Amino acid sequence: MKFYVCIKQVPDVNAPIQIKGEELIQDTNRMILNAYDASAVEEALVLTEKHGGEVEVVLIGPDKAKETIRKALAMGAQKATHIQTSGDENYDSSTYASILASFFKDKEYDVISCGKQSQDTDAGLTGSMLAELLNLPYATNAVGLEIEDNQLVVKRQGDTGQEMIALPSPCLVTCSNDMNEPRIPSLKGIMQSKRKPMEAVELSSLDVEEDNLAAKTTVTGYQEKPEREAGKKFEGEPDDIAAEVAQLLDTEANVI
Amino acid sequence: MSTILTHIAISDGKIKRSSLEVLSHCTQLANDNGHQSEAVIIDANASQYVDDVKKYGVSKVYVIEDPIFKNHINTPLLKALTTVMEQADPYIFAFASTEGTKDILGALAANQDAAVLSDVSEFNLIDGGISAKRPVMAAKILSSNEAKADKILVSVRSGSYELAENETDGEVVNIDFSFNESELKATLREVIGASGDKIDLSEAEAIVAAGRGAKDEEGQKLINELAETLGAAIGASRALTEAGIMDPSLQIGQTGKVVSPQLYIAVGISGAIQHVAGMTNSKVIVAINKDPDAPIFDVADYGIVGDLYKVLPPFIEELKKIKG
Repeated sequence: MKFYVCIKQVPDVNAPIQIKGEELIQDTNRMILNAYDASAVEEALVLTEKHGGEVEVVLIGPDKAKETIRKALAMGAQKATHIQTSGDENYDSSTYASILASFFKDKEYDVISCGKQSQDTDAGLTGSMLAELLNLPYATNAVGLEIEDNQLVVKRQGDTGQEMIALPSPCLVTCSNDMNEPRIPSLKGIMQSKRKPMEAVELSSLDVEEDNLAAKTTVTGYQEKPEREAGKKFEGEPDDIAAEVAQLLDTEANVI
Repeated sequence: MSTILTHIAISDGKIKRSSLEVLSHCTQLANDNGHQSEAVIIDANASQYVDDVKKYGVSKVYVIEDPIFKNHINTPLLKALTTVMEQADPYIFAFASTEGTKDILGALAANQDAAVLSDVSEFNLIDGGISAKRPVMAAKILSSNEAKADKILVSVRSGSYELAENETDGEVVNIDFSFNESELKATLREVIGASGDKIDLSEAEAIVAAGRGAKDEEGQKLINELAETLGAAIGASRALTEAGIMDPSLQIGQTGKVVSPQLYIAVGISGAIQHVAGMTNSKVIVAINKDPDAPIFDVADYGIVGDLYKVLPPFIEELKKIKG
């Protein structure tokens, strides 16, 4: 099967963040492969190693995002497409989906996969938008993937249980980070990644309609989240502090 | 005068409280701004929920009833949603941010060429659209957002708004709907581990959440006993769902469910930002952990520093006494 995995470079949410004015400042400026996309890459590699096929990654982003593409190639993806942007654009989920839809218009594939959301914005929209634009059957929030009789069998986490869904190819799936532990590239993988093909595609060559390149939503600023105040900490004899807190939950917090 | 439409999600034969929270807010917005608040119920037994929805100030309730909606499948749900959008022509279409919503929101926006903001913690009307706050960067930060368009979709995190009843005699509109099996793009083979009579986490008033510290059999037994004593739902940190000790549908956090109970008791959970992102909207947080420096204590109203195996038995005993 031919897998295209759409990946994104995102700021590391674990690095310290500051807000100056209403701007978001990350001192380290550390950019990484979105963790959910890493799981999508891993799963595509596992499935093609087992059943044959090819994994190609696609990334929309500026020049510095190449390091993230290299990471996916070092994990084992065979080739990559880099859709080049300046990185200063105000893109939202619908813009990314429109660009990808133009890219995939004349491509052949069995499965398009991506993370279920980006770990910086947590919007979780691009995957199903792209499926709709390409008129593909899709499933989101996959926690397990199998190939059976040329169908992709998706185990997805729903509201109350897990749903097993069989998708005919071509199809689209968005992946949770609960499905696997993405491999850490080996030294050999890193060396090989430098010789793997990475095709650069100019955004203008994709003929995305002007209307669709304009974001429909904007971020107007950032604020600190009103922090919860740490409350009382109880230390001492377990019997005493356990009973004391139980009493307080009843008499003070009124939640029993 | 425009329409603000709210989708009413049904789960396990009940209306999701989070949908009624969103509806309460939408009715308020409609009343304050001279718009009308309407709702849509899409379910195998949709009509049986109409009376409850009418308590929340709606001028119209759209009903789409079809056996295909017994389980969540995205293709028929999308068809139903586009049908109701054509009929109701909403300016704003609001959803509770359930897994079912997350599955279709982007597709519906693309289909309707609508602007969309997902998983917001608040939203309001502004000139030409809406403004909204969203938690970002693992919910460490809030972003301010605007969506300006003729049609706007928005999904709201549970616990963002209070319920506000406001009985009106809303009109009920049954929408003709048919779905041919041949239109199904995918096949739903089975639903595993549906919760049955278990309490739905995202709706629970009290939650006992277990972390790495409570991973052995004795820990699990204590967790169950504590939950039973309080009538609480059981949740878990990623450490336990990933290790296969607890069901993945019980995971709370950035990757799992976002919860907002009255009482949240974190047992043996250190409090990684990804976990905290899913539970800081809880009213009262209790943390039990033997590490006094565990970050969970930074968000806890009551922190008990101690070995959970020593703390939980007297804690449960005292709670039983209080409960009488």
